Amino acid sequence: MRWKGLVLPAGAVVLAEACARIFGIQSDSLAAPSQILVAAWGLLRDGSLFAMLGQTLLSALGGLLIGGGAGLLLALVLGLSPVLTRLLRLPIEALRPIPSIAILPVFLMVFGFGYRLEIANVSFACFWPSLIIGQAAISGIEPRLLEVSRVLGLGFWGRITKIVIPAALPRLFVAFRLAASVALIVAVTVEIALNPQGMGYELMSAQSSLRPEVMFAILLYIGVTGWSVNAALLLAQRRLFGRAGALPGAVPGEAA
Amino acid sequence: MNRQTAGGDVQPAGAGEALVSFRDVSLTLSGRRILEDISFELKEREFVCVVGPSGCGKTTLLRLIAGLMFPTSGAVHYRNQIVRQPASDIALIFQDYSKALLPWRTAAGNVALALEAIGSPKAERPARISALLQKVGLAQYAGHYPSQLSGGMQQRLQIARCLAQDPTVLLMDEPFGALDAMTRQVLQDEILRIADSGGTSVFFVTHDLEEAIYLGDRVLALRPNPGRVAEIFDVRLPRPRDQLVTREAGEFLQLRRALFDFIQETGH
Amino acid sequence: MKRLREFGWRAASVAVGLGFLGLWQFVAWRRFVNPVFLPGPIETWNAMLDGFRTGMLGERTLATVQRMLYGWVVASLVGIGLGAAIGSSRRARDYLAPTLEFLRPLPSSAIVPVGIAFFGLSNAMVIGVVAFGSLWPTLLATIHGFAAVERRLIEVARMLRLSRGAVMVQIAFPSALPDILAAMRLGLITALILSVVGEILAFQGGLGSQILEASRAYRSPELFAGVLVLGMIGLASNLALSALETRLLRWRAPR
Repeated sequence: MRWKGLVLPAGAVVLAEACARIFGIQSDSLAAPSQILVAAWGLLRDGSLFAMLGQTLLSALGGLLIGGGAGLLLALVLGLSPVLTRLLRLPIEALRPIPSIAILPVFLMVFGFGYRLEIANVSFACFWPSLIIGQAAISGIEPRLLEVSRVLGLGFWGRITKIVIPAALPRLFVAFRLAASVALIVAVTVEIALNPQGMGYELMSAQSSLRPEVMFAILLYIGVTGWSVNAALLLAQRRLFGRAGALPGAVPGEAA
Repeated sequence: MNRQTAGGDVQPAGAGEALVSFRDVSLTLSGRRILEDISFELKEREFVCVVGPSGCGKTTLLRLIAGLMFPTSGAVHYRNQIVRQPASDIALIFQDYSKALLPWRTAAGNVALALEAIGSPKAERPARISALLQKVGLAQYAGHYPSQLSGGMQQRLQIARCLAQDPTVLLMDEPFGALDAMTRQVLQDEILRIADSGGTSVFFVTHDLEEAIYLGDRVLALRPNPGRVAEIFDVRLPRPRDQLVTREAGEFLQLRRALFDFIQETGH
Repeated sequence: MKRLREFGWRAASVAVGLGFLGLWQFVAWRRFVNPVFLPGPIETWNAMLDGFRTGMLGERTLATVQRMLYGWVVASLVGIGLGAAIGSSRRARDYLAPTLEFLRPLPSSAIVPVGIAFFGLSNAMVIGVVAFGSLWPTLLATIHGFAAVERRLIEVARMLRLSRGAVMVQIAFPSALPDILAAMRLGLITALILSVVGEILAFQGGLGSQILEASRAYRSPELFAGVLVLGMIGLASNLALSALETRLLRWRAPR
């Protein structure tokens, strides 16, 4: 049954190629699939793909670790202290709705262009989903397990390392996975909007210099990168946690 | 075997004639023989119970009558017509009642769904809905959502919805299996009352042998692997049935013995 | 008694929030951080009021919100309509699902240069990008929702001999609604983000221009005022859709 899914994209590519050949249009905004593939190969061969990919991934990873890490840490703290959770509810609810794009010019003012700008923005964006889902992960721990930890007389640290973290780990990994896709998306967005580095910037650059075949090639690479990261993390999740990691009814659709 | 062509006109069956008939029906699914050479009849106003170990195809029989599945060989007839799709006067009560109710509609709304489906005139609907809810004892819960009702009440709601179809045949798939003993007894008597007052034929699948004897005019005992009709027991107990009296009657105990022995023989 | 305790906690939370504001004001007042980068809350608030008074901020807010809503509404309608059709058909799903799955992780902002290539730097481009970006969550969620209808309910519909249309409207759609509403919420956030990105790139005014210009000129009170307004739009959208969700999904069992 797998082949069915290929029919549409394969058909579209063939159709596009045929149209380009038959009509032979020289366009500033369209490119034939064959041209795109040539351009894609070119980017690979001269190494520029790796340069831009590296820049984007570095920023995304930095932001993920800092923002995602901070979010999970806070989630852990709040999970252990219901008092703190209640007290901080309003500040969190007030700051959460700020879109990460809005905070970008602030960081621009402070850092100027470059890695720090992007990492800061990605951190901001990754912080919130990590926090929220991390909280859900910790509050979803079977209360029985906490009772067990009390009965066993585990100390504070013992409780955290032996019960809380292992029990919440599958869901925490899901939080990490979602934060990772956010990190990639936000990194590319920052590059498209402002920052002169990485895949997003090269994408815009190709468009403004009227090289649509390069533009679509980079678009393809962005898609492949996003898909690969997602698939890799999903695989890791299945391997590490198996069924324990499955969350009921996750809402699909994270393109942003 | 999914022939979904439209069924023919419904012809009224003569008195005492079979409403539903199975003639040498066999069913194979994914290489496995589920049912083999099933032949029997469900007559008008008859209450037939079907028992047998797990996997003997009891539910499959039900779904063949319902028109949700079709035989590999042989024929299932309803009112002398081959069953090609669900008939408007056959109602099916599912075992997992919570999944068979629309959670976003109130109790009244769920019953209304059936009335909407059969095209009942709008002006009459409210009256019919409250009459049906009254019949199953849910009149006060008309505005409640299924999530607010207990298991027994949800099952009753499903029954009410099925009754809205004015069914000639009621198919019930282990309807009381998930309920506690007390609720079960109450609903058993209710279904007897409903079937009697409506002149409805009932095809009742259960794994509870005593329930089968208590409710039925006949009990169909199936043998598994593949599912075959092993024996048909006639239940000659007087009606109306009573939870205490009937269950202590000599005939009841004899039948119970016979059925228990049968189940022992055919394995689990 | 419980009500009182809940109120108490709420009040305490508000107090903590005010405390943070106070801390922020203190930091700004004492200039621990360069005031060019960090204006105090009071300065920000005043800048926002000034902006609205002169009409400039109001105009920009309206522009952003308009683009966001137009794109989102179109995207939602298309997403639900298309999603319903695809989700109800096994065949359509088999052919389309893999392609859609592949497109899911693609950042919708990546479509901006393609949009520019076709529509140039225009309002139409921004709205188009907004619509495209907020289409995906709704489309995918609708497909999933329609495909995942409880099998039992489909059989109930068959027993009642409901027409195909009736099944889609009376059974599949309400069943898919929780997923659809959640995705629409995500779609609205996406719409806001893309609206701002589009404005920044295409010089189309709106709040995107507000924050970009302010940051370039190091006018931080105006910048923060813009951020504040964007935050409020985000909050208002969230609350509105949450309220809608609660109202439409009253029937759900309390979790």
